[in-house]
Amino acid sequence: MWTKIKWGIRIVLLLIVGLFLHYTMPQRDVVQIINTYNKNTPIGANWMFYSIEDTGTGVETTATIRDIRFIDAVYADGDVMVYRNEDTGWFWPPYFKWDSSTLQAEATNLKSDKANPQWVAVTHYGWRMPIFSIFPNAVKITPVDGPDVRLIPWVNIVILAFLAFVILMIRKMWLQFRERMVDPALADVGETFDAAGERVDAARKEARGFFGRIGAWLNTWKAKK
Amino acid sequence: MGWLRLAFLMYVALTIIYFVTGIYSRSVRREKLEKEWDGDPAREGRTPQERQAFIEAGMVHYDRGLKKRLLWLIYILPTIGFLATIYLVNWQ
Repeated sequence: MWTKIKWGIRIVLLLIVGLFLHYTMPQRDVVQIINTYNKNTPIGANWMFYSIEDTGTGVETTATIRDIRFIDAVYADGDVMVYRNEDTGWFWPPYFKWDSSTLQAEATNLKSDKANPQWVAVTHYGWRMPIFSIFPNAVKITPVDGPDVRLIPWVNIVILAFLAFVILMIRKMWLQFRERMVDPALADVGETFDAAGERVDAARKEARGFFGRIGAWLNTWKAKK
Repeated sequence: MGWLRLAFLMYVALTIIYFVTGIYSRSVRREKLEKEWDGDPAREGRTPQERQAFIEAGMVHYDRGLKKRLLWLIYILPTIGFLATIYLVNWQ
């Protein structure tokens, strides 16, 4: 029972982290740009999926309607995609994009029709979810040779490798901390209590698991009676 | 003023990471020195004071060494990443 709950929580956490990364990390679509325009866009409960208010391009006409640049595009297989083109500001996601005017000009310049398609790679983050009126934010547009071009996501490789390294380091630090600080302290507790046998068992039981160990370590700072 | 707030928060976080990593790195070095002493048969039977002196000397050496200075990368690399992102997104 408890194992199942524990695994359930782990899977949910992993899923949240995965979705968060999928939303935030850059992706590239190979598309053809068919239209660029501005639209007064009402922003309500979906504000989380738009730039924060004071970032520049989001000229707010009222509190809840924002003039936002959009880019319409079509994939090689005929599916369409709508990107928004907003500055990201100084905080999150950390793209530090301030050139949405320039990007819109580039997008307009690379506009093409079906007869003479100009294929471009649109770097973007975010999701398109019509039900919540959420659009991915275009970050960069580069012309490519054709719809079959192969793009290697170096940025994502570097970011994921770095994250893996950070997790590994945190794990190593935790193990070192446990080995050097917590376990000797617990051994100390064990020695002190050695005479009173059953109390050692109690202390050991307490020292099980992540927080148990931390708690037991904190207890060793208390004055010994 | 957004960038000031971001820079402030970033360097506060990096300072915490710098100190935690520094403690970890010292701890690893100390453990290595202890094991070096304990695993050396030539040092068998020497006094705990000598062991302590050996470890302290090793730590002084560590404090002056390259490895400790490499910890500054904790500040340098994110700053470079930050500036590179700004350049690549807006100017290239």
